Amino acid sequence: MNGTQTILSARGLSKHYGGVVALDAVDLELRQGEVLAVVGDNGAGKSTLIKALTGAISKTAGRVEMDGEEVVINSPSDAKRAGIETVYQDLALVNELSITKNMFLGREIRRNDVFGRLFGALDFAKMDSEIRALFQKLDIRIADIYREAEAFSGGQRQAVALAKTVMFGKRIAILDEPTAALGVRESKMAMDLVRSLKDHGLSVIMITHNMQHVMNYCDRVMVLRLGRLAAVRDVKDVDGDTLVGLITGATEGRAA
Amino acid sequence: MTHTGDNSSTQISTPTATSSGFDVLRHQFQQIWQVLAALVLIYLVFFVLSEPFRSLDTLLSIFGQASILAILACGTTVVLISGGLDLSVGSIFAVVGVVVGIMLAEYQLPVPLAVVIGLLAGAGMGALNGTIQVLTKVPAFIVTLGGLTAYKGIAEILASGRDLSRFPDSFQMLGSGYMVPMGIMFAVALVTGLFLAKTQLGNHAYAIGGNEEVARLSGVNVRKSRIYYYMIGGALAATAAILEVSKLNFAMPARGQSYELFAIAAVVIGGTSLFGGRGGVGKTLIGMLIMQTIIVGLSYLGVGTSVQRIAIGIIIILAVYWDVWKRPAR
Ligand SMILES: Nc1ncnc2c1ncn2[C@@H]1O[C@H](COP(=O)(O)OP(=O)(O)O)[C@@H](O)[C@H]1O
Ligand SMILES: [Mg+2]
Repeated sequence: MNGTQTILSARGLSKHYGGVVALDAVDLELRQGEVLAVVGDNGAGKSTLIKALTGAISKTAGRVEMDGEEVVINSPSDAKRAGIETVYQDLALVNELSITKNMFLGREIRRNDVFGRLFGALDFAKMDSEIRALFQKLDIRIADIYREAEAFSGGQRQAVALAKTVMFGKRIAILDEPTAALGVRESKMAMDLVRSLKDHGLSVIMITHNMQHVMNYCDRVMVLRLGRLAAVRDVKDVDGDTLVGLITGATEGRAA
Repeated sequence: MTHTGDNSSTQISTPTATSSGFDVLRHQFQQIWQVLAALVLIYLVFFVLSEPFRSLDTLLSIFGQASILAILACGTTVVLISGGLDLSVGSIFAVVGVVVGIMLAEYQLPVPLAVVIGLLAGAGMGALNGTIQVLTKVPAFIVTLGGLTAYKGIAEILASGRDLSRFPDSFQMLGSGYMVPMGIMFAVALVTGLFLAKTQLGNHAYAIGGNEEVARLSGVNVRKSRIYYYMIGGALAATAAILEVSKLNFAMPARGQSYELFAIAAVVIGGTSLFGGRGGVGKTLIGMLIMQTIIVGLSYLGVGTSVQRIAIGIIIILAVYWDVWKRPAR
């Protein structure tokens, strides 16, 4: 599965909040078809890294290349245009919107008639049927796609968010703690979806606190500590204890 | 398909159990039946208490008096759903009334042209409110509070030393009687309702009001959309103003005072959330009818306007209390 071709690389990503250095000159490389884990303690800068990478926040410094060419990503829309689909931590769904409206938020399908062209009238029948087909394919058992998102469990909501990346992700999926606050069974379901992202040909960056998930589902792992890159390893070369040592700083790693 | 509208969230339906358009309708009805029941109940109370209240004329006058404010409140509904607030629509109402009055009485413009100018003026002032907010990030409450006094001042300057009355017959038809304003009210509510439910920009109002950050991260152009919602609010305030000027056959800058508060009250009584993300114009219509029924009913019982105001105030607080407490904790 492990390609060697680099699909995305970021150099010197930094983010300062006033005097706080949340992210300090971090490099990141994502290879074609891999699942790259990002681990680190709370506050290590993991979410900041992917937000800066995907244009959700402005970066203080850094440049991003895809396929060896610089891409300018200054907004979430820029990232989507580049084929990068992101599930942000705690910011995946609007509670008040139905599953259908959440799935297509920002990319609604318009009716193919005069109402659609002039007034932006939406084709809900088409959106509904695309979602049903996708949910069937991914074995997501949610029938009430008209219901508001807040009526669903954490696992179901995460499944919807992941299904969204399957539907729209063209090249890269980025997931910020996709199994946080999920039970064992729900985590398994979410991780199966992560695997199917890979099967759909997407390269994946996944933030997680679960060492088991790193070992079982990921190809490489990068460790952040206090906003800096502490280490990057092939998963087959590390075990859980080593990783925990790198996260806490008990073990000193060499970056790359 | 066994859900009951509670928040038990563990059940997973099978993929074969498909929902239909009927479920959507049922869902909307579930949300609206309580306010509808309240309206009927309030009407029946006055029906029992007051003999003269029991006429068709009274019923029509409730609709008729509700209609101008209801049109304005449709715009307020859109703005509130999107998580915004426009306190200046009463003053926009005043400016538009004066502007249309000048166009008709002083420049003798054709009626359709004067109407279009009035609508554009309203939309423009609304858009200005929205633009100032997204550019300066000053809260809606402050920006539109500024608009409330500034637009009022503009209306006074424009009107001073002018006699704005005695408009052409074809203009007076617009707001005369109960039927035409009522028809326009239903048309406005229908179009606004379709906008909110069926169009992309309308759907984004719920998304932005529900969670602005998620909407932004999903690629929604939040700033541009917001400006449109304020623009719609301004245009509907203008529509209401044009009808009132036509009905009264004169224009003056004092009109529209406190209308923004009545509109917000109707929206809230109807059950649209003050916190954004939920609601609809159907509810607002019912909310406005509840308010007018109480006002008309109380006056039939000989209760003065001051006490009517107190009653409305209490109902507003109850409605918000209801909004806060039925919101799921999440
Ligand atoms: N909006 C913000 N303003 C100020 N500091 C922030 C902001 N967001 C994050 N930080 C700080 O940046 C650091 C990294 O945060 P974050 O990336 O969320 O960590 P992680 O996702 O690894 O838990 C933390 O010290 C956090 O307090
Ligand atoms: Mg985080």
